[in-house]
Amino acid sequence: MSELALFLAHAIALEEEAAERYAELADAMEVHNNKDVADLFRKLSHYSSLHLADVKKTAEGIELPKLKPWEYEWAATGGPESTAAEDTHYLMTPYHCIHLALKNERQGHDYYANAGKASPDAEVRKLALQFAEEEAEHVATLEKWAANVKEPAADWAEDMDPPAEVE
Amino acid sequence: MTVQPNLTAQDFKSDIKPIWCPGCGDYAVLAAVTKALAETGRKREDIAFISGIGCSSRIPAYTNVYGFHGVHGRALAIAAGVKLARPDLTVVAAGGDGDGFSIGGNHFMHACRRNVDMTYIIMDNEVYGMTKGQASPTTASDWCNSKLTPHGTGISPVEPVRLALAAGANFIARGFAGNPNEVARLIVEGINHPGFSFIQVLSPCVTYRPEQREWKQAVHASDATPAQLIAEAMHQLAADDGFTTGVLFAGNRQPFMPERKITATFADFERKFES
Amino acid sequence: MAAYSVSVALTGSGGAGAMTAGQILLDAASKAGFFGLMTRSMGPQIRGGEAAALVRISTKPISSLDDHYDVLVAFDWGNINRFAAELPLAASSLVLTDPEQGEVPEAISVFGARVGELPMKAISGTIPGGRANMVGLGAVAGLIGLPIDAVIAVLTAQLGRKGPEVLAASTAALKAGADAAAALPAVAKLPPHTHDGGIRWNISGNEAAGLGALKGGIKFVAAYPITPGTEVLEWLAPALEKTGGALIQAEDELASINMIIGGSFAGLPSLTATSGPGLALMTESLGLAVASETPLVVVDVMRGGPSTGIPTKSEQSDLNIACFGLHGDAPHLVIAPNSIADCLFSTQYAVYLAEALQCPAIVLSDQAMGQSRNIIAKPPEYPYVAKRVVAEANVENYKRYAMTNTGVSPMAVPGTPGCNYVADGLEHNERGIPSSQASDHQSQLDKRAGKLDAFDYEDHWADVEGEGEVAIITWGSVTGPVREALERAHAAGVKAKMISLRVIMPVQPAKMAEALKGVKKVLVVEQTHSQQFYKFLRGHYDLPADLQVVSRPGPLPIRPAEIVSRLAAWK
Repeated sequence: MSELALFLAHAIALEEEAAERYAELADAMEVHNNKDVADLFRKLSHYSSLHLADVKKTAEGIELPKLKPWEYEWAATGGPESTAAEDTHYLMTPYHCIHLALKNERQGHDYYANAGKASPDAEVRKLALQFAEEEAEHVATLEKWAANVKEPAADWAEDMDPPAEVE
Repeated sequence: MTVQPNLTAQDFKSDIKPIWCPGCGDYAVLAAVTKALAETGRKREDIAFISGIGCSSRIPAYTNVYGFHGVHGRALAIAAGVKLARPDLTVVAAGGDGDGFSIGGNHFMHACRRNVDMTYIIMDNEVYGMTKGQASPTTASDWCNSKLTPHGTGISPVEPVRLALAAGANFIARGFAGNPNEVARLIVEGINHPGFSFIQVLSPCVTYRPEQREWKQAVHASDATPAQLIAEAMHQLAADDGFTTGVLFAGNRQPFMPERKITATFADFERKFES
Repeated sequence: MAAYSVSVALTGSGGAGAMTAGQILLDAASKAGFFGLMTRSMGPQIRGGEAAALVRISTKPISSLDDHYDVLVAFDWGNINRFAAELPLAASSLVLTDPEQGEVPEAISVFGARVGELPMKAISGTIPGGRANMVGLGAVAGLIGLPIDAVIAVLTAQLGRKGPEVLAASTAALKAGADAAAALPAVAKLPPHTHDGGIRWNISGNEAAGLGALKGGIKFVAAYPITPGTEVLEWLAPALEKTGGALIQAEDELASINMIIGGSFAGLPSLTATSGPGLALMTESLGLAVASETPLVVVDVMRGGPSTGIPTKSEQSDLNIACFGLHGDAPHLVIAPNSIADCLFSTQYAVYLAEALQCPAIVLSDQAMGQSRNIIAKPPEYPYVAKRVVAEANVENYKRYAMTNTGVSPMAVPGTPGCNYVADGLEHNERGIPSSQASDHQSQLDKRAGKLDAFDYEDHWADVEGEGEVAIITWGSVTGPVREALERAHAAGVKAKMISLRVIMPVQPAKMAEALKGVKKVLVVEQTHSQQFYKFLRGHYDLPADLQVVSRPGPLPIRPAEIVSRLAAWK
């Protein structure tokens, strides 16, 4: 299996998982009636899937390895751009959402930037640096969004109602 | 890179949106389960996913396989029935620490010793979430945040993996919701291991146990080869701090499955009544 | 008293062989062409306890004890007081006692029966290897006129493998007893009778229930032992193992009911058997089976309750919990066999109904049927076999709980592609997705109740026999004495009707109204303390205002004469 195929398999998994996770979070926020954040996560999912489509296009014609979830470089955790479940909250605001996305995109950038330096394969290095550049653009975009969103008051997570009894 | 899975994790997700609190570890377990089921290479219709009652027990509805959401504490009994009736099915049971070790505690002990070939995932958050945050059997004795036990339970928590080993489980592992790909691996190993496989997944409750966000710092992967002998596992688990992740025991007991054969007709049994 | 039958009680402490003697007597009667019934009464000891074998032998099929025993054979008198009340004797009866065992106790002499002395132990002592119970059995055969050859034939079949010496000793003891009978006071004799050549079965209610389950198509059983239901499970264990099914011993009744829910969900007709305390533990999960529309059968062999109650004695007091013990509105089937033979039919029918209607069925048997043995004509074949409406593969937009005309929706069995669903005890919509919406709750409740109500239970809903302005409404094992009482009343020129309910739930008001046409008086007969059946009938059926009830708890069985006298006294 070529270094390139292995790299592309990772890139696809990274983007795919990021898109899926954003979509799941959008669903979760919808269920919890946090529409603004749901819309944001939906948007982020959309961008990730656009990027996924780009990566898939690049990978066209190359036979990719079928890796098991734990065979990726990020063996135990999710991919670098996958939002960790525990980093979310039902009352989270667009501010938190954008900063979460920023964290993800920066991790994505670092992952590609590292591959751009460390890979023994020149083609991989070139492609990784290109992806890293794209991630940097995402980071820049998100930073612009972040500039327009005010940090919420310290009591943003306070809920006047107690949790519900369900079953 | 062995079996070529035909289906992806997405294929194992249903169109129903979870009611879990955002931040709940169970989302990650769901992701791990769907990834794991895809990896088994089994068809969706050949998998039965059984649960009891509680937050985590809602999980079958969020997957796209045959499922049963039963009553509180009885997931393992239903699951055993499914597997014993239909050995051809892959059976996975799941639920929370209260469902599995309190109301369902007796079934857990007997499921371990019965050693039917199935996999049991406990999403352990040390609390009852659906009834507003009471102490569960895995809650520390001095946790005082429940109105029901304002001075703490005052009783020792259950140690799930030690209990499983003592009761005879054939495969024991621990995962952490923050490491969903490791959990996926543990589930696949559990499903592939013959007999009763028990997987404890530390799955934080951000609503009633927000301090569990710190589990991320506490967990550490096991550096030992999975024990195959009970004595060896006992020794290792005696020193376990409750945060070691990985396969902790992989035994080699024969799974229980009654043999099916047809050696008599109804008429043979009727003739015995002739007088 | 019925002229066509003779009743014999054999009692003695463990080791005396009373039960064995009773069993041989029943088998011998069958061999000679008679019908018969044997119930038993036991002390609480595992071994060595006092026991009574209560045998009735008849020229025609019977499903009831008689009013009293013609002969009481006591091998000894250990603890007889514990069940003396279950051994009614008439002045014409004979108490056969071994003088070596001391005076006839007051609890027995109070009946005023004649006493015959037979030194059974001493006689057996003269025969090497001889036993007192065989001497007593021989005497009984001689007294009631049961051909001794029939007894020897049974002994030969049973003891043959123990060698000729054992058989010879037993036969000698038997003959010694029979010879001694000539010197004893005469008792009622069996009428002359020849075997009609038909095939006879010697079967208990618990075995019959097991056979009914097997023939109904049960393939999976989860079992937890409990008196007096265990024998249903013990009979099924080897039967299933050899016919392609499986029986699993569970850790408790919570597990056994849920295991069969799992087995049935997975596609196999599934059953468990228990008694009152076990049924109580199962009720939550029976509700799950109702809500998730999972077919299954629970055979409850009733015993005296509440709590541990009287585990070895019969009562009909689980009626309330069987019908109304589930929380929420939980329509389900309750089917009651009304004889030992009917334990076969009713259990088989219950399996068929549960599968056809996708709901749990409770079969309400009791200790009196479950642990008694009956000589019956071989039952016919019944056409009732489990047949579940299942979903085909790849149904578009499959809805497990879809509304249908019958209320029964095709059930997808795991392995069926394209119909994956999650069965749920939470209220749900047609797809099975949890829902707390009023409209879903209403429509699913309507569906689950409607499918049972709309089904035609044909004439199996009850056994309706006889004609008259008086009707006895009864159920379960009490049907035996009611039947016999009405037979006697009829012979005396009194016209009366019997309605013995088999389909207890769902109730059948239209069929009952038809059966009660022209009836002016109703007598309810049951075996509970709180008149559970009477109240059940009053709550669900339109009955004539002229209504009386015979009801008492176990362990004393209701006997035909009581019912006859109640009818006679009711002018």
